[in-house]
Amino acid sequence: MSSIPKSRKNVYTGLLFLAPNIIGVLLFVVFPVVLSICMAFTDWDLTKNNRYKADPDLNFIGFENFVRLFTEHEFTQYFQNTLFLMMGIPFGMGAALVAAILLSQNPKSDSAKAHKWLKMCTFGLLSVVLGVSIAMLFVSGYNGAGMMVLLMCLISGILMFGVLGGNTVYRTLFYLPSFTAGVPTYVLWKKLYNPRTGPINTTLTPALEKLSAVVDALPIWLFTSCRWIGFGLIAALFGYGISKLLKMWRDGEIGSVAMLPTMLALGLPILLALKWSYTAGVSWALLIACAIILTVLVVRAVKAKRDFTCAGFDGFGSGILLVLGLMVLEFIVLGVSTVLTNLPAMVSDPSDPGLSAPDWLGSYEWAKPSMMIIGFWAAIGSNNMLLYLAALTNVPKQLYEAADIDGASRWARFWNVTWPQLAPTTFFIAVMSTIGGLQGGFEMARSLTNGGPAGATTPISFFIYNEGFETGRLGYSAAIAWVLFLMIFTITTFNWKFGNRYVND
Amino acid sequence: MSMINTQVEEVHVHEPTPERDRRQFIGKTGLHILLACISFMLILPFVWMVLTSLKNLGEVSDPSWLPGEAGWQWSNYLAVFEKIPFATYYWNSLLIAAWVTFLQVFTSSLAAFSFARLKWRGRDKVFFLYLATMMLPGLVLMIPNYQIMITLGLVDTMTGLILPAAFTAFGTFLLRQFMLSIPSSLDEAAEIDGASKWRIYWDVILPLSRPGLITLTIFTFLGTYHSFFWPLVMLKSEHKYTLPIGILSFSSTSGQETNLLMAAVTMSVVPLIILFVVLQKQLVAGIQLGAVKG
Repeated sequence: MSSIPKSRKNVYTGLLFLAPNIIGVLLFVVFPVVLSICMAFTDWDLTKNNRYKADPDLNFIGFENFVRLFTEHEFTQYFQNTLFLMMGIPFGMGAALVAAILLSQNPKSDSAKAHKWLKMCTFGLLSVVLGVSIAMLFVSGYNGAGMMVLLMCLISGILMFGVLGGNTVYRTLFYLPSFTAGVPTYVLWKKLYNPRTGPINTTLTPALEKLSAVVDALPIWLFTSCRWIGFGLIAALFGYGISKLLKMWRDGEIGSVAMLPTMLALGLPILLALKWSYTAGVSWALLIACAIILTVLVVRAVKAKRDFTCAGFDGFGSGILLVLGLMVLEFIVLGVSTVLTNLPAMVSDPSDPGLSAPDWLGSYEWAKPSMMIIGFWAAIGSNNMLLYLAALTNVPKQLYEAADIDGASRWARFWNVTWPQLAPTTFFIAVMSTIGGLQGGFEMARSLTNGGPAGATTPISFFIYNEGFETGRLGYSAAIAWVLFLMIFTITTFNWKFGNRYVND
Repeated sequence: MSMINTQVEEVHVHEPTPERDRRQFIGKTGLHILLACISFMLILPFVWMVLTSLKNLGEVSDPSWLPGEAGWQWSNYLAVFEKIPFATYYWNSLLIAAWVTFLQVFTSSLAAFSFARLKWRGRDKVFFLYLATMMLPGLVLMIPNYQIMITLGLVDTMTGLILPAAFTAFGTFLLRQFMLSIPSSLDEAAEIDGASKWRIYWDVILPLSRPGLITLTIFTFLGTYHSFFWPLVMLKSEHKYTLPIGILSFSSTSGQETNLLMAAVTMSVVPLIILFVVLQKQLVAGIQLGAVKG
């Protein structure tokens, strides 16, 4: 044995293996972190302090950067933008779940006969499409029918490959948008969104013209009633959510502390409705009524002196999942009914008669939704879909069999078997997407709009870039980055605290 | 299936009756049509992209997606190479991605071996430091890292692009988790046979970690290929541009030439599509493996 004690030798070997990596990590991760913390408390400005200046002017200014962050409206606006863009996350998650469920169905039927029929039908369809295509090309020529023929052939081609190749074909096609998402596809979308020459608007404009003719012909009360129908639906969803949460609370599945924020989140769409076109008075009345019902119920529960079977924060995760799903529905209803209500006004607008296609990325109102559409396109077949797909195949078969024996409907089977089994995955995806959403959006903003119009599409990440690399206010930029870190840190600890417990349920 | 069997299992197994065949057929047909329609909608942007890249500039804004009178302009693809140093962008992207991936996988596997298979004092404390850095948003590091690059004189160099991306805690973490699942009896046996730690790493652990290594390779390669922020701030001279930066600069300088731009976009997207189709199995497994660590 050598003279070096064994434990010391072990440390040396361990560090030797670690060395190539840890030197890099220390130099490009740990040291920058320390530097960044220091920077956040200085007024480091590239215009005043750079290496070409003889007398650098660098001062320690304490929390001034942070105070400035919260007093100037810029940060608030960009943070709101980020939150607005993040509202797309539940939609994307829902779409990923639906896609995963569709893909998890076995497209090959277990009965050989049915599969043979399917194959025969597909080939029949394909030959019909080809025949019709050739006929159309002969009759109306390349320019008239070419596009129709192309799209028809494409869709029946996909169908044929799907029938022959099974789910792998569809999964590949679903996954392509998310796999290729990056600057090149954003450049592509910028062209698609072009208000005059882009294919979206060249398709939309004739369709909208027809729609305005239809709207003009219909009686106006049909549209004004949409407001009340929408409102009723939102109220019903809200009520359903509240009653479900209360039931969970009474059954001891969710703690009292955890219930409050989820209930408040349910009311968020209603608050938004207040800001939009809904009659404020009715919305307030509804909110107040809800508050009264809620108080009565809570007081009654407390008076009954029941045992609080779970701790305050228990079941936070399941509450959030329920609320997320309901919020998506509420937002959809809100959006659809608002649009429907305003249709006649938009059509008969004297300054701009008829419906016109939006300006997409160029308009203040549409820029953010445009980006969310791109995000949605990439989210349907994303990694989240693959995670859901893996989770779905891991659901124990016995559970479904048990549900079948109980005669559960498909819907009941989903809500009582699949959804609870998927809960850990959903929670993981929700947390990861929130973290990603808070620091994301830079690529899109930089390549689609450069943050405009009027800062409408500037997320926090773009703000940091702007301050750090365009205006050169390094200290300020570092401070923003650290505020962002604190938010992410909060969510991560929240995940540690509740995520694991929820997963173990 | 024999007669007796069918009779015994009659209660559990659905018999292939004409009724059932019909139900199955309708159900599966509906499923296929739905899946095909969604796939079709999702890839429509790509269809438009390819078709537009083959149009004459004058027909780009026509409502018809197909090239018109002027015919299919295959020469657009060559025109891109004349207009911008597209091949250079390609090469730069590949070179950087290859270097980052090599450094990342090699150093991470060494570090992961140290964390997972060696016992030394202070190991867990160092590992906790690694874990802590994983929570940091990349944005926090960008600004100070850029100042470091200025000091080192590495701005606008390939080295400056590669180094900060090559050393992350994530790779080490992923591989460590993977190596922990390899039975420890294997390296104990090798140790008894007199193998050095290096031999254990190289001959025992590394071959067994192949799925993990493949996952990390694909993740890192794709991440670097797509990476945008760091190249954007680091690169100043055009001949060093990577693909995303090159495409962006092309779109801002001659964005009006939609057909050429789409040809360039097609050429940067198609390799990815091919890569995906080829590597699909490993990729899907890798993503599911990568998330389990969460």
